[in-house]
Amino acid sequence: MPPFRLAFALSFLAATSLVYGQEESATAVSHHVKEVFERAAKAVVKIHGVDEHCEISGTGFFIDPTGTLYTAYTVGGEAGNFTIDFNGKRYPAHQVLADIRSGTAILKTDVATPALPIGKSEELEVATPVVAIGYPLDLPETPNFGMIAGFDRKYLGRYFSTTHLRVNLPTQRGEAGAPLLNMKGEVVGILVSSLENNSACYAVPIEAAEKIRSDFVRFGEARHGWVGINVSEAARRVEGSRAEMTEIMEGTPAAGSGIKPGDILLQVGRKKVHEPEDVLDASFFITAGDTVPITVLRGSEKLTFNVQAELHPASQRPPLIASPTNQAIPLKLDSEVQRTP
Amino acid sequence: MDEFNDNEIGKLLRLKRYEQPPPGYFENFLHEFHRRQRDELLREPLWRILLDRTQDFIFHLDVRSLTSYPAAIAAVLVCAAVISLKIYQEPGTANVAALQSGPALSTAVNAEGQWTLASPAATRIFRAQPLRSLNESADTHRAAIPPRYVLDSVPVSYESTFRF
Amino acid sequence: MEQPKTDEDQQLVARTQSGDAAAFDQLVIKYTPRLYGLVYNMTSNHEDTNDLLQDIFSKAYKAIRGFRGKSSFYTWVHSIAVNMTLNFLKKRGRRFHLSLDDVDASIQNDKEFLELTATSSPVREADLSELQRRLNEAMMKLSDEHRAVVTMFHIQGMPHSEISKILRVSEGTVRSRLFYANRQLQNYLDEFRKNPVG
Repeated sequence: MPPFRLAFALSFLAATSLVYGQEESATAVSHHVKEVFERAAKAVVKIHGVDEHCEISGTGFFIDPTGTLYTAYTVGGEAGNFTIDFNGKRYPAHQVLADIRSGTAILKTDVATPALPIGKSEELEVATPVVAIGYPLDLPETPNFGMIAGFDRKYLGRYFSTTHLRVNLPTQRGEAGAPLLNMKGEVVGILVSSLENNSACYAVPIEAAEKIRSDFVRFGEARHGWVGINVSEAARRVEGSRAEMTEIMEGTPAAGSGIKPGDILLQVGRKKVHEPEDVLDASFFITAGDTVPITVLRGSEKLTFNVQAELHPASQRPPLIASPTNQAIPLKLDSEVQRTP
Repeated sequence: MDEFNDNEIGKLLRLKRYEQPPPGYFENFLHEFHRRQRDELLREPLWRILLDRTQDFIFHLDVRSLTSYPAAIAAVLVCAAVISLKIYQEPGTANVAALQSGPALSTAVNAEGQWTLASPAATRIFRAQPLRSLNESADTHRAAIPPRYVLDSVPVSYESTFRF
Repeated sequence: MEQPKTDEDQQLVARTQSGDAAAFDQLVIKYTPRLYGLVYNMTSNHEDTNDLLQDIFSKAYKAIRGFRGKSSFYTWVHSIAVNMTLNFLKKRGRRFHLSLDDVDASIQNDKEFLELTATSSPVREADLSELQRRLNEAMMKLSDEHRAVVTMFHIQGMPHSEISKILRVSEGTVRSRLFYANRQLQNYLDEFRKNPVG
């Protein structure tokens, strides 16, 4: 065969196989999404509640076989008289804990339930495909498919309590509290708010909810901790960090720890710090009572101080805990969920 | 020397005027206000709504209209009495259609289709349709009001500073 | 902030009382920004402010039938606002979290802002958010009543006479509360001297 014809034939074959391959992978994607949806939908429920103004309706999902469920604070935080639709029936549920800082709430129903496996939001990247399952308006469980659009620290100029997942999938009212799943079917986030006419949304990373649950298991309430250091932007980047500790507040664990104003912050727990805003995530996962190793740079010297965290002043709101029931919350968590630094 | 004097404290405080809510907040405020009003009104018992509307009508009546519409007043009072009685006897099966058919009330509807007897908030809500049909009980009526489907457009809390 | 024309308000109130709901809407639109400033600076929490404002207008709407015009609408509605906010703060107590609004960019053009950042050493433009935080902290340390007069006089720019009408105290009481509050704020903000920012 003349070289020209050979080249043509080969490229034609390549093109058709590419098209065929794309069709095949498109089918595979839809099949995959369907699988994730069908497996997970059983553990996602519609939540009804009554707040001081009216009835409310949202979404939540089970994370253990004894009826523990996660939802958004806007659904489970400031309402009562909860009921859930599960398996074609309606069951009563009560609030176990609601935490405004993380934007999450934990409810419980006393029934044997399927549960969603917990994933790791750290494995997500921009453009990672994700599936959300929610109860929009008065419609049945509905899948949503989209992708991670970004990891945001702030929205409209205001900082979140911890980095949120921004997801490009359309959401409708009633879907607050919906689980965000990776393509392995594991929960990596909880839908908490929408942006821009519901064309995209924010999800709190699942680790945030797990931190709250872990606090509850250990202490019976959410225990946001802090050490008492204010961080601002340093004039120059030193050792990769522009985070300068400008104020050590009086009467806090940091006062008397040996840390001095002007020290450059390098690491809090396991979290490396490069910008002042990195401190937000570090701060969120500190639990009051835990010892936090803080590494700083003073001049040319690297020093590490171990400071015992205290209760964060912002969490002085009374914790929202329902009255205890006879049903025990399982004490054993599936994995080492505490992201205490 | 670097101490703040009263003047400077005043200046610093005045600068707090620049702390403003997010864009669109004030525009949206009125909508939210109306929504709450509607909500409140829909949760009021019917006898109370009627009482308010009757009170309003009487309160705003002037002498001329009194002499012109004696039948109107009488009809309103009679309707209100009849309906209130009905409600007390059979709670939950109020027939607002009866209200509609009262001559006084239909003549009181002005050109824009708004109830002039209504308290101000009601001009937005009450169209010429019955609130409930004859056989609906109060329970099914309550069920017909949809719940608030939750998905806020802003997160629930913010951090204001970098501290840990 | 100048006080609004009272005859316009009178008309709107009269129309509202005779059933014109749109007239009350005009009053809401007119007074929301003003009342927002008042309530926000007393509570330092945007969400609480929003809820309170809705309750304030709701109460005003329900009560307007009985408004006889003995005081101006301005004074009347501000009175409702201050009282509801003080009651709320009493209930809220010390448990709250700051939920501060952002500073609008137009502050860069404010004459006093430019003066402060040019001449006063404790203040630097780059640390405006730090300044906001310190000032809010200092404000929250005042008692609710003292914070109310500071807000009304310094932030809302109301004269002593108006404040005394709203709070139903003598002008002398208003002046002495302001004097005391200024001293307190001065003490708290003295830290700037010890920890200069920027």
